[in-house]
Amino acid sequence: MNLTLTHLFALLPLIIVGITVVVVMLSVACRRNHFLNATLSGCGLILALLSVFWVQCSDHGSQLPTLVSPMVAVDSYSLFYIGLILVAALACIVFAYAYFDRLKVHREEFYLLLLCSTLGAMVLVSAVHMASLFIGLELMSVPLYGMAAYIFKRQQSLEAGIKYLVLSAVASSFLLFGMALLFAAYGELGFAELGLKLVSVDYLDTWTIIGVGMMVIGLAFKLSVAPFHMWTSDVYEGAPAPVSAFLATVSKVAVFAVLVRFFILAPTFSVKLHTVIAVLAVLSMLTGNLLALRSHNIKRLLGYSSIAHLGYLLTAVVVLRSGVSDGAGELSESGQLVLEATGVYLVGYVLTSLGTFGVVALATHADSANRDTSELRGLAQRRPVLAVCMAFMLLSLAGIPLTAGFIGKFYVLALTVNGELWWLAASVIVGSAIGLYYYLRTIVELFLPTDDATVTAANGRGQALGALVVVIAAALTLWIGIFPEPIITMVNSALPVGL
Amino acid sequence: MRPSRLTSSRCCRKPQEVLIVEFAFYLSAAVAVAATFCVVTGVNAVHALLNLVVSLIAIAMVYFSIGAPSAAILEIIVYAGAIMVLFVFVVMMLNLGQAAVEQEKAWLRPGIWLWPSIMAALLLAVLVFTLFMDSRGYGVGGVTQTPKQIGMALFGPYIVLVELAAFLLLGALVAATHVGRDEGHQDQAGDRPEGLK
Repeated sequence: MNLTLTHLFALLPLIIVGITVVVVMLSVACRRNHFLNATLSGCGLILALLSVFWVQCSDHGSQLPTLVSPMVAVDSYSLFYIGLILVAALACIVFAYAYFDRLKVHREEFYLLLLCSTLGAMVLVSAVHMASLFIGLELMSVPLYGMAAYIFKRQQSLEAGIKYLVLSAVASSFLLFGMALLFAAYGELGFAELGLKLVSVDYLDTWTIIGVGMMVIGLAFKLSVAPFHMWTSDVYEGAPAPVSAFLATVSKVAVFAVLVRFFILAPTFSVKLHTVIAVLAVLSMLTGNLLALRSHNIKRLLGYSSIAHLGYLLTAVVVLRSGVSDGAGELSESGQLVLEATGVYLVGYVLTSLGTFGVVALATHADSANRDTSELRGLAQRRPVLAVCMAFMLLSLAGIPLTAGFIGKFYVLALTVNGELWWLAASVIVGSAIGLYYYLRTIVELFLPTDDATVTAANGRGQALGALVVVIAAALTLWIGIFPEPIITMVNSALPVGL
Repeated sequence: MRPSRLTSSRCCRKPQEVLIVEFAFYLSAAVAVAATFCVVTGVNAVHALLNLVVSLIAIAMVYFSIGAPSAAILEIIVYAGAIMVLFVFVVMMLNLGQAAVEQEKAWLRPGIWLWPSIMAALLLAVLVFTLFMDSRGYGVGGVTQTPKQIGMALFGPYIVLVELAAFLLLGALVAATHVGRDEGHQDQAGDRPEGLK
């Protein structure tokens, strides 16, 4: 099969990011300039973001979904998540510029790694084949090892990188073994082809369930779902704050999107498997929230809270058991609710995570080894705008009305009620109640007076731009919380191929 | 659980051949697992690496037995041949001095090289045996994949992934050079590439 112009046009966002990688690499080789390389990377991502709209809206857009080779499908679903990933990566670049500006290390490689990782995430959300799933996952994870260990003089950072590398490799081997078992049983690697075979058999044998189960384990590790969450707090704490933001947003969005796509195209309808996923979801909600209660370090706390949020999101995958199609190739009601809930929740989660990790990256010192909640103590005195945004974001994470987090949580509850999954509904409520306590505790910390007069506010264009991004994220969170119609329409138009 | 190629090509084969192919497959796989176990349990870096070489060759034999000779040969040339030899050289070069010599003497005890040798000998036996069977008209694997077919697949439907694999290598290379850089020699300004000092 040949790549035609239509295929290349559909791949435009990926191609632009790929070209940006090469341009930034050459630019670093010529001259080390932090500002120049950060700007180049940012411009590349903005161009890619514009091209996403172009691909979506142009005449060729009517030809969507485009299956670029049997591996990669560019449909409105993947374009939506590519857009979300690009926005998150762009925000991470801004935070990274502010964060690394004060450091005397080689800073330029960071942007190269971040761009490569973003490219991997974009491949992941367009993957419709095991091979592209695996390559995308590795392309996203391998640069992340380097990013987590970026300030390798700081022992914590190095530890975070090594921990992520070793555990990630174990997860990848689980994923590969699961794929191999499925291939051995059915001889197919494409999601849709595999789905056809799975539908045609009456009884799923043990090997299929083990294969899908091992794939779920591999992906659950990347999503840091309990009980595969052990690495999360250490890596989030040790890695530089912009990397934690990237891990919490880009990598989770990409993996979750491909998980949902896999279960849509290759539904297993196996009660056993979905019971296991439901147990994972409940465990994540409870473990994440309970562990966050005991932690006083802001990065650890946000890491644990992300475990809980992924637990809420996993209910969408549990509901997918009944499939998204009503048998006639049309989207069923519960299927539409699943897609809507996933999209809206992820948008809210990405915006709030970017905001909170952004404030952490901007407000704390890059040189200090320990960053406790107490370092954010008195933030309202030093940086009132950041403190107000942070407080609002934490309210959104807690799911208070008038925020995007509330809309997302509302959708999740609607899903559980619609699917009559009462245990899940109960744990969502219990989890949210526990979460409220530590989110509010952190907000109180922000507004407490501080006696530490030595901490001075950092200045510079990076800080100003970073603050602007945080304010925009907060404004969007508020806007979605009050007026969610546009985002729901957008999510509804983002249908995966095969529907 | 059998490899699918084996299963699918069974129809046109005599039961005896299937038995031989399966024997080769399972024997190589067992050696691979045993050798990898030795890699993990080995306390000495060089011993572990030598076991890893055996394990990689065993995996190559698995490829041979299921009819993917190109992948098998690549596995031997690239992994066992190039990368592992490089690893062994580097690890050996780091152990210099009198202590290292004494250690080397200790390495010559038969208890250490015996197991890898037996496993390698088993693999050799498998290879000779299957080649011998092949010359009498018995195929080793299922559907044999030629390098041409592999090339056509790589640069046909898999072309996007081949390009992405290049980015994967680039990302890994940048990460490795950054983390592996010698900070002691870093210039203070930090605005000049390492090579230009």
